[in-house]
Amino acid sequence: MFDIPKDRAVPFGCVTPAPDTEQPMMITGNWREYRPVIDQEKCNLCMNCVAFCPDACWQLDGAEEEVVWNAKYCKGCLVCVNECSTEALSKAYELDFPDGVVRLEKPF
Amino acid sequence: MAKELTLSGCAAAAQAIKMAKVDVICSYPIRPYTAVMMELAKMVNDGELDAEFVHGEGEHAQLAVVYGASAAGARVFTGSAGVGVTYAFENYSPISGGRLPVQMMIADRALDPPGDFGSEHTDAMSARDQGWIMGWAETPQEAFDNHLINYRVGEDRRVMLPQFVCQDGYFVSHIAAKVKLPDQAQVDEFLPEYDPGDHVLDPKKPCSHGPQIRPDQGAIMDLQRGEAFLALPPVIEEVIDDYNRIMGRSYSPWVEEFMADDAEIGFFLMGAHTATARHAVRHLRDQGVKAGLVKLRFVRPWPSQQVAEALSKFKAVGVIETSTSYGGSMRGGNLLAEVRASLYDLPRRPLTTSFMAGLGGDVIPLQEFYWMAQKLADAVKAGKVEKPVYWAGLEH
Repeated sequence: MFDIPKDRAVPFGCVTPAPDTEQPMMITGNWREYRPVIDQEKCNLCMNCVAFCPDACWQLDGAEEEVVWNAKYCKGCLVCVNECSTEALSKAYELDFPDGVVRLEKPF
Repeated sequence: MAKELTLSGCAAAAQAIKMAKVDVICSYPIRPYTAVMMELAKMVNDGELDAEFVHGEGEHAQLAVVYGASAAGARVFTGSAGVGVTYAFENYSPISGGRLPVQMMIADRALDPPGDFGSEHTDAMSARDQGWIMGWAETPQEAFDNHLINYRVGEDRRVMLPQFVCQDGYFVSHIAAKVKLPDQAQVDEFLPEYDPGDHVLDPKKPCSHGPQIRPDQGAIMDLQRGEAFLALPPVIEEVIDDYNRIMGRSYSPWVEEFMADDAEIGFFLMGAHTATARHAVRHLRDQGVKAGLVKLRFVRPWPSQQVAEALSKFKAVGVIETSTSYGGSMRGGNLLAEVRASLYDLPRRPLTTSFMAGLGGDVIPLQEFYWMAQKLADAVKAGKVEKPVYWAGLEH
């Protein structure tokens, strides 16, 4: 018999219940080399990052006062940094953060 | 009423697909497989078959269409040949990983170097490691039967895997032979409606097919398919028993032996050239040569034990390679590597070598089989094979 660790289990044929906002069964932001960092002072809520992120990792917060980053799915492609209209976004090396994903024994 | 018709391999396959009552068919033209779609298009147009007939924009699209349709719970059929098989390649692994019992017919055609219409197994064999069931037919009759057998095996809840149902282009796909067709009632008894269970796209129960997974989950996905293949052999045996009983056939699930019992030298092959090989064996017997043959019915799952049992009867076996693996361990084809691996644990192994033959759509004439038989007889005499691969008809 095979012994499958619970946290690595895959449903049959990889068919998962449809996510509401996030797909908690398939967290994929564990291989980025860089991450985007936001300077909220410079941000004018132009929403370019929200529109351009291929993984919907930038969203308005509940109060709709600032955009917030979702680390769980960010692959570090830096499209957001490129598209930011006010240079509020910059890239930072993942290893410089104590929670940098490449440091973790287990992703999240 | 059961009836007998004279049908090409493509026309026979179309009859099987009709009797399997498929829901969705996706076509794109490439010869020689196209003839099956011509037949099916007529059946749908004439109201003989109630199926959605979709024209794909290409082979990649064909596989994408049946991927989605199968995920929605439909019994599906598609097919291709040669470079069409390779153009669709990206979709093969997601379909088997998604555990969707898609059926694809391949009527072999040589891959382009730069253009060749003849039959060669390299197109399908290139996809043998994509998690699909795979096997060849020797005749239009066997093609007809294999399509039905494969739907039942692939859709079995213990299996849930897609199937490549292969036949040689031209030699089978376009040469007509007698085909016994069962009654629809017999087919209905053998092949129940496809039941996808919970494994289906349903707007009332939203789900995701084919999401991104983490690298540390990849091995587990692979293991799922690996376990499905481990569970396959008893299901195939059970299904073929059932098929033989209901249809009055006598298929051996894995390998078919011909004059093998007291044989000293033997041919090992699959598909259309087996028909010529049978004649060669008969003629060799007339000359007093103890020859026989073993025909392979499934490449995936590979029946290691049955191959070992069948081939251990011979002193020397010549594997007829109708596909290429340039630079591989056997310096030519694919089958000899699998055959040698199957024989490895036997206490007494037959001598084995391979013959590159029937490539690019070339026929394998009787003289070439006699030449191969001589090489095998020489090996028996010398107690060893000269080399692992010969190019039949191109060397002396």
